[in-house]
Amino acid sequence: MTSRASEIGLSNEARPPAAAYFHVPFCAHRCGYCDFTLIAGRDDLVGDYLRSLDLEIQRSRIPLGTPLATLFFGGGTPTHPEPAEMRRLFEMTRRYFHVSATTEFSVEANPLDLTDEKIDLLTEMGVNRISLGVQSFSQQALKLLERDHCAHDVRDVMARLKSRFENVSLDLIFGVPNQTLPDWKETLERAIELGPSHISTYGLTFEKGTAFWTRRERGDISAVDEELEREQYALAMEQLPAAGYEQYEISNFAKPGFECRHNNVYWNGDEYWAFGPGAARYMNGRRETNIRSVLGWLARLERNESPVADSEELDREHRARELIYLGLRRIRGISRASFYEQTGFELDELCGPSLREQVQLGLLDDDGSYVRLTLEGRFVADRVVMEFL
Amino acid sequence: MFDQRFIRNFSIIAHIDHGKSTLADQLLLKSGAITQREFREQILDDLKVERERGITVKARAVAINYTLDGQKYELNLIDTPGHVDFHYEVSRSLAACEGALLLVDAFQGVQAQTVANAYAAIESNLEIIPVLNKIDLPVTRVDEVLDEIESVVGLDTEGCLRVSGKAGIGIESVFKAIIDRIPAPKGSPTDPLRALVFDSKYDHYRGVVTYVRIKEGSICKGQKVYFMKAGTSHEVLELGQFRPDMVACEELGPGQVGYIVTGIKVLGNVHVGDTVTDFHNRTPTPLPGYEIPQQMVFCGMYPIDATDFERLREELQKMSLNDASFSFAPDTSEALGFGFRCGFLGMLHMEIIQQRLEEEANVDLIQTAPNVTYQLKLRNGETQFVDNPQQVPEGGNIEEFGEPIAKVVFILPSDRIGPIMQLCADRRGVYKTTEFLGPKRAQVIYELPLAEIVFDMYDKLKSITAGYGTMNYEVIGYRPADLVKMDILVKGEKVDALACIVHRAQAERRGRALCKKLKEEISRHQFEIPIQAALSARIIARETISAVRKDVTAKCYGGDISRKRKLLEKQKEGKKRMKQFGQVEIPQKAFLSVLDANKDD
Ligand SMILES: Nc1nc2c(ncn2[C@@H]2O[C@H](COP(=O)(O)OP(=O)(O)OP(=O)(O)O)[C@@H](O)[C@H]2O)c(=O)[nH]1
Ligand code: SF4
Ligand SMILES: [Mg+2]
Repeated sequence: MTSRASEIGLSNEARPPAAAYFHVPFCAHRCGYCDFTLIAGRDDLVGDYLRSLDLEIQRSRIPLGTPLATLFFGGGTPTHPEPAEMRRLFEMTRRYFHVSATTEFSVEANPLDLTDEKIDLLTEMGVNRISLGVQSFSQQALKLLERDHCAHDVRDVMARLKSRFENVSLDLIFGVPNQTLPDWKETLERAIELGPSHISTYGLTFEKGTAFWTRRERGDISAVDEELEREQYALAMEQLPAAGYEQYEISNFAKPGFECRHNNVYWNGDEYWAFGPGAARYMNGRRETNIRSVLGWLARLERNESPVADSEELDREHRARELIYLGLRRIRGISRASFYEQTGFELDELCGPSLREQVQLGLLDDDGSYVRLTLEGRFVADRVVMEFL
Repeated sequence: MFDQRFIRNFSIIAHIDHGKSTLADQLLLKSGAITQREFREQILDDLKVERERGITVKARAVAINYTLDGQKYELNLIDTPGHVDFHYEVSRSLAACEGALLLVDAFQGVQAQTVANAYAAIESNLEIIPVLNKIDLPVTRVDEVLDEIESVVGLDTEGCLRVSGKAGIGIESVFKAIIDRIPAPKGSPTDPLRALVFDSKYDHYRGVVTYVRIKEGSICKGQKVYFMKAGTSHEVLELGQFRPDMVACEELGPGQVGYIVTGIKVLGNVHVGDTVTDFHNRTPTPLPGYEIPQQMVFCGMYPIDATDFERLREELQKMSLNDASFSFAPDTSEALGFGFRCGFLGMLHMEIIQQRLEEEANVDLIQTAPNVTYQLKLRNGETQFVDNPQQVPEGGNIEEFGEPIAKVVFILPSDRIGPIMQLCADRRGVYKTTEFLGPKRAQVIYELPLAEIVFDMYDKLKSITAGYGTMNYEVIGYRPADLVKMDILVKGEKVDALACIVHRAQAERRGRALCKKLKEEISRHQFEIPIQAALSARIIARETISAVRKDVTAKCYGGDISRKRKLLEKQKEGKKRMKQFGQVEIPQKAFLSVLDANKDD
């Protein structure tokens, strides 16, 4: 599948990427922990956004009808705009790209947005994967996270989605201030009960510039103890596989056959299109990131300027190192053979000593053909991958 | 050649901050050496460290012209630093002069370095002109300060000038006093050349620039000269004066102060205090030169990047050309590799040299905590001086551990005598005398171990006396003490560069403080790191740095890839500035924390 495509991908650079990401920067309210690119409470800008997005796609000069293996709408909340606006958005993208029945077509959704009307619309547009921002089943945690739904809403929407979508993913957050291990266990159990095909668990991070950051500085809330956070993560890695969700990435678990193909593109080091404010693309060996300000992005496109704020083209060695950093996120790890095929570097020549050191520390596991994080290594993955950069 | 009857050579000396450089500004301005447009405050303080810290570090010589009663004079002034660490700069400058302006702040009065610098000038047989400075201040103590000058320094205040360098008051009287009271230089122009090398520096374009004061004879361009101590001969390619920038001239005669460029490339070949003579017509007697300064504190300096070692050597040589008072010798440490053991006159001196090396020479350094020199009497009868704790032999071989003792002179408000005596007692001081300098001020003399004063006594004194106390010290010898070497073990291994020498009675407290400090400085690793302090094999303190239990980025999707990778790269870059010791990375700063832990809180 995608990994195959990637292995051919590098030797055949002229082929356009088969993955595309669209960023939809609207939310009803900015949650206290969130530092994503979005503008809350400015639904009046949706029209401008759609126009600018059209411009951005046009100017990217994609070959018309480029077939997509995966298509992903993320945010913000792609389900937040009015149904008519959502329709325009999906129709527009389908004018440029070819989406087929085999395309993995994901949309991130907020539980309360999913009215029957919107569910119908998503089905009609060919969406076949829903990623639901559930975060927690505990009322206390949901309140602290400033989410507008409750556990009951999630059960309700899951029931309505079930008949339409075979592939639904739930996002959950641990490490929420005041969240105990039993709290988290309960959230995991409730999620499993609902039987989604995919579950993501994210440790809460305090990002600079968010309300949570300020509140933590003020001593108003505090991060959970490192040891507890570790136990919570460990619990997810124990409980979810036991319920049939195999861990395939640091934060992702799926029933067999339901790994997110789009996200695998990222960890494979494959190329992808991206559009919208703050969106990041990887094309022709270049990584580019659009300006994060929504208004800035709108203005630049209106003025016929490039929305790109940052770009870098890595040399071969750095690209290879980056691939280690990405590849190690996957539980199956890095295959020596495909690493060589993809980068032209032998893994051991590039970083033999670091590799051996991390193996010795018990953080990496090396079976000769694959190198992967050990269970212990997953807890400190950043430290491990840093050694290879 | 300027008629030597109309030359006057003098230094400006004072306690720190009493206004030497500001008065020099006025002398430059009023004599026309600089224009109003070129004027800026403390113009002679042109090193970056000097401007940043607002103090003079290097003595600076300038030749100015001044016309009095129709006669043109050449005045060679040397602005000197006031801080105790740079006293060597002062004594070198005095040897190039016949007189000195002794500035005393009209409010602060006589302070410790006023006394020390005045004595140095008296010993050099200079004509001293006392000058009450800062008379523009809203509050002054003119009469009391005059009394202090008479009683403490022992100078007649009959002709004491009253000026303000800052407000430009009384500057003419300064010129007049210099011309009337300081004798013209002696020395015959026809005698064989004798010129004193009183300073030098490395100039990017000219190579080594040698600063000279002509005593007898003369130097002109093209002349072949001979450096008596170095035993080398060179042709004078360029010579000139500082006005204040280097300005070339044809000839320098007796009494004149200037520079010569001889194309010397070998950095070790210039010695401050050397005598320059004519190659063909050599003088039989070199000038007395200078005493070699006694370094007080020593520390290791190691390039972070091992390949910088040779470059560091070169930069140290260049630096020592411009500062004869620090020493360096190659040294190795198991933990830090190849580097240098450097000696300094004090903590400020050490900081300044390190800063200049990093800024002017652009070498990243790891510096170990400073210590004093110890005198060891060994069982086998040998005496050994050790300026590096790593060199201390096994306890069993030591008969006697001797430490340097300083005579310390405090000048402070009388009501603060109690707290100072308490502090000195805590620091193993031996009381000598107290003398009252006036109704409210006193001079207290103690003998204290040098190690108890060089690192932080000055700060302590300032806080005890609300800034009004000052001190001066000189080393008077070694005395036996109950000292031990304290080792530091990081994850079970001795880190030689963290070892230090402590008094046995304080070992446990300092060991605990040091372990605690290191725990703060060394970041957490993927494993636990025990930190221990030990005397021989006995562990006296211990801390543990816990292992990192969780460090993982939760989300790494399309938009996060570059950003998170860069963050990790930056973190990794930071690690490169650390020294790897076994599996443990120790940051630069940690090595200095030995010092902090040795101060009391
Ligand atoms: N009010 C007043 N302040 C002065 C006078 N002269 C100097 N100062 C101030 O005193 C401080 C120290 O002046 P400097 O000229 O740098 O003193 P210094 O003696 O050269 O100091 P070091 O070289 O570091 O020993 C500065 O803040 C000056 O502005 C003066 O005549 N009157
Ligand atoms: S709904 Fe999601 S994207 Fe929107 S503010 Fe909350 S966390 Fe951020
Ligand atoms: Mg000065």
